[in-house]
Amino acid sequence: MAQFQRPKTLLDSLGEEIIRILTPVSICMFLVVLLVSILNSSSSLSVTSIATIAYSETSSDSSWDKFLGALLNSLAFVAVVTVATFILVLFFYLRCTKFLKIYMGFSSFVVLGFMGGEIALFFIEKFSVPIDCITFLVLLFNFAVIGVLAVFMSKMAIVVTQGYLVLIGMLVAYWFTLLPEWTTWVLLVAMALYDLAAVLLPVGPLKLLVELAMSRDEDIPALVYEARPVTHHDPASGPIQRRIWRQRQTVRLDSEDNSSSNRNVNVISDSNTTVSIVQTSHSGTGIARVEEGQVLESIAELSAPLINRGMDGQDGMSAESLMLEGMGLGSSGAIKLGLGDFIFYSVLVGRAAMYDFMTVYACYLAIVAGLGVTLMLLALYQKALPALPVSIALGVLFYFLTRFLLEIFIVQCSLILVMF
Amino acid sequence: MEASTPNPNPNNSNSILSSTPVWPTIDGPLGLSEEDSLSYARRFYNFGYALLPFLWAVNCFYFWPVLRHSRSFPRLRPYVVASAIGFSVFSVLLCSWALTFAIGGEHLFGPTWDQLVMYNVADRLGLTGWS
Repeated sequence: MAQFQRPKTLLDSLGEEIIRILTPVSICMFLVVLLVSILNSSSSLSVTSIATIAYSETSSDSSWDKFLGALLNSLAFVAVVTVATFILVLFFYLRCTKFLKIYMGFSSFVVLGFMGGEIALFFIEKFSVPIDCITFLVLLFNFAVIGVLAVFMSKMAIVVTQGYLVLIGMLVAYWFTLLPEWTTWVLLVAMALYDLAAVLLPVGPLKLLVELAMSRDEDIPALVYEARPVTHHDPASGPIQRRIWRQRQTVRLDSEDNSSSNRNVNVISDSNTTVSIVQTSHSGTGIARVEEGQVLESIAELSAPLINRGMDGQDGMSAESLMLEGMGLGSSGAIKLGLGDFIFYSVLVGRAAMYDFMTVYACYLAIVAGLGVTLMLLALYQKALPALPVSIALGVLFYFLTRFLLEIFIVQCSLILVMF
Repeated sequence: MEASTPNPNPNNSNSILSSTPVWPTIDGPLGLSEEDSLSYARRFYNFGYALLPFLWAVNCFYFWPVLRHSRSFPRLRPYVVASAIGFSVFSVLLCSWALTFAIGGEHLFGPTWDQLVMYNVADRLGLTGWS
């Protein structure tokens, strides 16, 4: 029996953090699948929005027409998003952060109030709940106002903030699933490519935003989900933001005794464990035992760029909300994931749910695998990464493979009772 | 139980022996310190009067350690207790009204029930035709 507490292994710290980011993503996807399967079986709704501005799909068009129309729609949407993000960078450059915050609060209020209200109305109509309008309005008003407070304006219980972020993601994702089918799939691929370009290219708006925030050492007001940090020694940072690795200071830790560390002196594992123990070392309860003379660099957070997501509005009126995409690491070492990622993952799974549950399982596993790959790359490269491309690519691939290849196989096997 | 001293020392937060909490919020060391909590508790309490009983509920939930351990954080306690009372009163009122409306139905209200119930209101105002 060891005398001292066994130092946390890489698996303990990193595994816990991965679970803490996977859980809300899974919950959001599950809620969207639930909404889609309950609400969509009754009526088919069509949404007029930015994303259908170029072409509205009808079932009588040929495949090539539909594909072309979907391509035009997605290009229009990506163009709008790019312009909006550049405007955001401009505002941030001109230091209008107050205006940005107010605008984001307003758009969250619209999402929670109007979209949440509409979905609640769908439920009420479907199940004929005998609720009266006074009670409904009071509850909706409370829900929306506290959501805005929790996400932006004030510090609140972490559970409440995280819950409201997941709810906002769920509402917007459900709205996106109301788009026509071809448009949705082409839009997902287009957004993944846009995310890749915007974060990694030097001229991309998100990269500019990140660098601006880095140089000014400021926070970007954004909708980002931050997992609760694993170590409990420092207070969590404010509203979640996508973060990037940044070296703020170097800390030199010398070994106190002669016994060498029994950890691998592997660069990657060192930097990973540094993430979770950097705060413990700061608070004086460090358990890091390093080789003599090794310099550990503490990694601090970088604010992440925002992406303006044009949201589907009614009659052409669109409310935009600022959401972040991609992931990074926060100053407390917890993982941050932008809300745009939540939304597009859930849109993919929601769309898959409209076909069959088989595709839902396949796409869910693909997205989780993609998220794991992205997290590994994050630990490897230690800078802001787009979280969409890998997951969306795997998800779309698995959807089409399942739909066109796996389904036939499974149905035949089930019919003759060979399997399942 | 002894009153806790406002001394946010992180090393005390995990002590099993102390029965008084050091951190007033439910997040523990990740939440607010006691000085900040006072302004937050007061603000939540005051804004709750603007027809926002959920804010009172959030106040109680967030400062749950203050409620649980009586005689700790003497400055915070009045606001949190008042929020708890306000939330319970409001929820009793709202529930009784909603239940009366739902169970009473047309017997009790007559034709006005149809005018008040939500799905009719939504149809009349065309609210679900937005999409």
